[in-house]
Amino acid sequence: MKICTNCVMPSTKPDLHFNEDGVCDACQSQKSKNSEIDWKKREEEFLNLIKQYKVHPDYDCVIGVSGGKDSTYQVIKVLELGLNPLCICFEPTIPTEIGRKNLENLNNLGVDLIHIKRNPVVYKKLAKEAFIRTGDNEWQNHLGIFTTVPKFAVNFNIPLIIWGESPQIEYGGPATSKTRNTLDRQWLEEFGGLLGNRISDMVGVDGLSKKDLSLYTYASDEDIHRVGVTGLFLGYYFKWDLREVVKKSKEHGFSVQDRPVETTYENFENLDCYSNHLHDYLKYVKYGFGRATDNACLDIRLGYIKREEGVRLVNKYDGIPPKKAIKEYLNYTGFTQEEFNKIVDSYTNKRIFKRDENGKFLRDIDGSLVRKEEFIVK
Amino acid sequence: MLKHRVIPCVLLKNWQLVKSIHFDSFRTIGHPTSTARIYNSRNVDELIVLDIDASLNNEEINTEIITDIANECFMPLTIGGGIKTIDDIYKVLNAGADKVAINSKALKDLDFIKQASSIFGSQCIVCSIDVKKIDGKYKVFTKKDGILDINPLELAKKYQEYGAGEILLTSIDNEGSTKGYDLELIKLFKDELEIPIILNGGMGEPHHAVEAIQNGADAVAAAYIFHFSQYTPNDIKKELVKCNIDSRIIDN
Amino acid sequence: MLNNQIVIIDYNMGNLRSVQKAFEKVGCDAVITNNHKIIKNASKVVLPGVGAFKDGMKNLEELGLIDILNEEVLENKKPFLGICLGMQLIASKSYENGETDGLGWVDAEVVKFDFTDYDKKLKIPHVGWNNVSYKNNNLLFDGIANNSDFYFVHSYYFKTNVDIVTSTTDYGFDFVSSVNKNNIYAFQFHPEKSQTAGLKLIENFVNINGEL
Repeated sequence: MKICTNCVMPSTKPDLHFNEDGVCDACQSQKSKNSEIDWKKREEEFLNLIKQYKVHPDYDCVIGVSGGKDSTYQVIKVLELGLNPLCICFEPTIPTEIGRKNLENLNNLGVDLIHIKRNPVVYKKLAKEAFIRTGDNEWQNHLGIFTTVPKFAVNFNIPLIIWGESPQIEYGGPATSKTRNTLDRQWLEEFGGLLGNRISDMVGVDGLSKKDLSLYTYASDEDIHRVGVTGLFLGYYFKWDLREVVKKSKEHGFSVQDRPVETTYENFENLDCYSNHLHDYLKYVKYGFGRATDNACLDIRLGYIKREEGVRLVNKYDGIPPKKAIKEYLNYTGFTQEEFNKIVDSYTNKRIFKRDENGKFLRDIDGSLVRKEEFIVK
Repeated sequence: MLKHRVIPCVLLKNWQLVKSIHFDSFRTIGHPTSTARIYNSRNVDELIVLDIDASLNNEEINTEIITDIANECFMPLTIGGGIKTIDDIYKVLNAGADKVAINSKALKDLDFIKQASSIFGSQCIVCSIDVKKIDGKYKVFTKKDGILDINPLELAKKYQEYGAGEILLTSIDNEGSTKGYDLELIKLFKDELEIPIILNGGMGEPHHAVEAIQNGADAVAAAYIFHFSQYTPNDIKKELVKCNIDSRIIDN
Repeated sequence: MLNNQIVIIDYNMGNLRSVQKAFEKVGCDAVITNNHKIIKNASKVVLPGVGAFKDGMKNLEELGLIDILNEEVLENKKPFLGICLGMQLIASKSYENGETDGLGWVDAEVVKFDFTDYDKKLKIPHVGWNNVSYKNNNLLFDGIANNSDFYFVHSYYFKTNVDIVTSTTDYGFDFVSSVNKNNIYAFQFHPEKSQTAGLKLIENFVNINGEL
């Protein structure tokens, strides 16, 4: 396993490439964010583009929101640019108190907000099957966000959707994805983290019918075309700096936690959902890096910490099972601890983590997996 | 009637499943367990997994992952990559595979195919041929040795003679291109072999499968379309049936 | 001592784990073995297999399994499931690479597909999914739609009397895809590789005499 010489991202991350100096492409991308990209030009491009989308009598764009720091920042930015957005919130899987508070705060910035209370019975069936089948307990939530927002755009005849950061620009990804400024159906299928599972593959699960899943079915090509729906990444046109985003959001009433969020050292991410903490933990068991690594890498790239500090933070915080989140998750789904462990084990990386002679994964006192020597982050 | 098969064909690299583009660059498809589970839930006809760490980097055949994948599959599983000895075949079959795909070893040693098919049965042995078009002619290609002055059809006939049960024919030029299969290539093979041919490389939309089968393929293999597009295996089969090609469709 | 278990005969012919996994999936712990004692105590017997007929018979003989199979299946009438080669072996003889005698449990011959006189030269082996048309209400097809697809991979097929034929499959002509004679059930296709339909068939076998 290689580790980026600049940040602390390991080569076990899917589709991460390193140059001859051992620097990962997310770092290179971040560097070009600072040096190669003419942000003034991109801002002009954006302002020009949106002119043609100001066609709706009431709303200039649609924004998918959660109440988190990113969507709060998006709304602030969009309001500053003089646009009137219609906000759509596809509710998190297991909402938290602070998440609800932040959503209220977003609403109070002065926007119309549609809070989707989806069919909980259908959603739970999807959630449980997605966890078993894909190893991603938030699969159905990602899908829900990416399909309901265009659906509402179509239904309200609002062509412009404004998304936040481009995950590939910020975190690295296949070369073809980084120059993408738009999020459309093709983007969703290729880069949206669906892991090859489609909503049509979920028909029949626990009696789910095609009709049950209409909310998660992407709008037809005809409708998208007719309305002219286009999704732009704000992060492509405006330089995205994580801590700037947090600062600005806080200035506008966004609340952070008084202690670190489970699975990392930060207190401002994924505040709105317990299931998301589990999602981050699953990333760790599959690939050997979790939210703490993501945060440390971003902090290094943005110049807030040095690499040694990043290594220290990763070794201290990454991979600790989120006890509260798991408890909430078991409560929500009804899985027993045993069933849950079996599923997590089936996704745990045999190459990275140590096992005993019976093939059972070794665990520390706090339940963390034990990394083989050659996979320890240095 | 016998149905024409639509088979996902993926590569195993660094304990993850990937697909390649012209054999050059790789993109992650996903975790082996989840990918196998998804394929099984989709009722795909078969699954082919080629271990490129074993074949290109001479690493040990990853029997653990093979078993993990086999445990999720209630349809036939073909495993290839790095198979060099009879013992390797035993290892792979015992790990849970139903068939083995052999490439470089077969090129160097036809008798190995004879031996393998007599021990395990022809139906267990798939010979894999990678092809590139050079100066208008099709030549066999390997990652290690590059272009070889060998005619793919002649080679396939030899494999058939020595006991292979099926041929997996991959067009390196079309692989990952999503522009469709190499129809000129498959036309050369049409009605020339007694054993089935699985054509691989290039499917970007369902109709490509129709073209491939109409031009001589018995079955088609693909990767991109199942992971990076909106099409599911059923979409491809429905298109086949629409064009009067027998295909197995399971609707939930 | 394992008692009253379903046994999967291990005679070095093919992937037994798939078969065992399929039984596991339907909730039944089947044991892979060639141990005579365990077979004697078995509730049901499964004979899978891929490979050459000659090798199959040779291995059964060397492992001393022929007599015990005759006893448990023919005399003690334990329910028997034969899959692919396991079906072919119950025939009287096979013409694969010369003539070889089979177990002779049914009056049948195993011959190679031959399409020389056909307009369309079908490929051999017969590989892939094909319809299985069953005639009567056979126990093992209970709950499975007629003409469902199952997975086949073979170059030789079974020739026998109509009265024991339980299903046919079209591959140039209608060949025998399964037979049933008393407690003996045999299938040319692979139920353990035929997903939902196959798993249902295995479940039906497990449920014979109400055992699960």
